[in-house]
Amino acid sequence: MITLNRKLKKEHTVPSNGLASEPVKRISIRDKLLIKEVQEMNENLPMTCSVHFEDPNVLNEFILTVTPDEGYWVGGKFKFSVFVTEEYNMAPPRVKCLTRLWHPNINVDGDVCLSLLRQTSIDEHGWAPTRRLKDVVWGLNSLFTDLLNFEDPLNIEAAELYNKNKTEFQAKVQEYMTKGKR
Amino acid sequence: MSGEDFDALDRGDNDGQKSDKMFTLKKWNAVAMWSWDVECDTCAICRVQVMDACLRCQGESKKDSYGKQDCVVVWGECNHSFHFCCMSLWVKQNNRCPLCQQEWSIQRMGK
Ligand SMILES: [Zn+2]
Ligand SMILES: [Zn+2]
Ligand SMILES: [Zn+2]
Repeated sequence: MITLNRKLKKEHTVPSNGLASEPVKRISIRDKLLIKEVQEMNENLPMTCSVHFEDPNVLNEFILTVTPDEGYWVGGKFKFSVFVTEEYNMAPPRVKCLTRLWHPNINVDGDVCLSLLRQTSIDEHGWAPTRRLKDVVWGLNSLFTDLLNFEDPLNIEAAELYNKNKTEFQAKVQEYMTKGKR
Repeated sequence: MSGEDFDALDRGDNDGQKSDKMFTLKKWNAVAMWSWDVECDTCAICRVQVMDACLRCQGESKKDSYGKQDCVVVWGECNHSFHFCCMSLWVKQNNRCPLCQQEWSIQRMGK
């Protein structure tokens, strides 16, 4: 609650940037949901994940770091920025991958293809307001294991290489991870 | 279930310990029923109990002096219940129950 009050004070005093024409007078639905969900996320964090809030008073923006302990990306460290928009939880958070990597479901620009982050979906895998922040973390973490998908790739080249030659695919994954560490 | 049956049995078989047994049984029964109800009656969208006003209306009613906002409950054909406010926002995007993915159609509304 202390965190929340401080956040409100800040929003009052900081002049608006023109996009938000009127100052925030009350706590948004998003922020009310996030107070519970951020705590829940922290309590259910997988062993391979860590989260970092740049500003502890801003709950809708954080960095998720995934350090896979199995699969092709073992030894790598992958950062994702998670931004929860004002439309939450009617709309999913916006996610970008900040680490360059070779992955069929993440392209070199950092766009992430994960079904639960899709706003419009005709099946049960897309976004729904019943999903929570901890589900988003679970989904991103699983992109390196269970949800790794070569069938419907975003990085087509990566998927093609995997189908052609798995040794070369592994080598390319390693090459990107070494580059990333420099 | 009938407490009387157990009551009678206890009394016939074991006179000395009857009061202990009866007490334990009744307490267990009450706790189990209560937690089941709570789980079923939470709106899965805003996570507030459906019998209370939804998260949106809670924030607004304090400012309003009318105090007449009716935040009603809506049941779908699938028997899932939500706040009408919460569900009407979601069906604008996707006309499916977010819990079971069935096409959403209203069975009834009320409190
Ligand atoms: Zn609700
Ligand atoms: Zn309402
Ligand atoms: Zn349903």
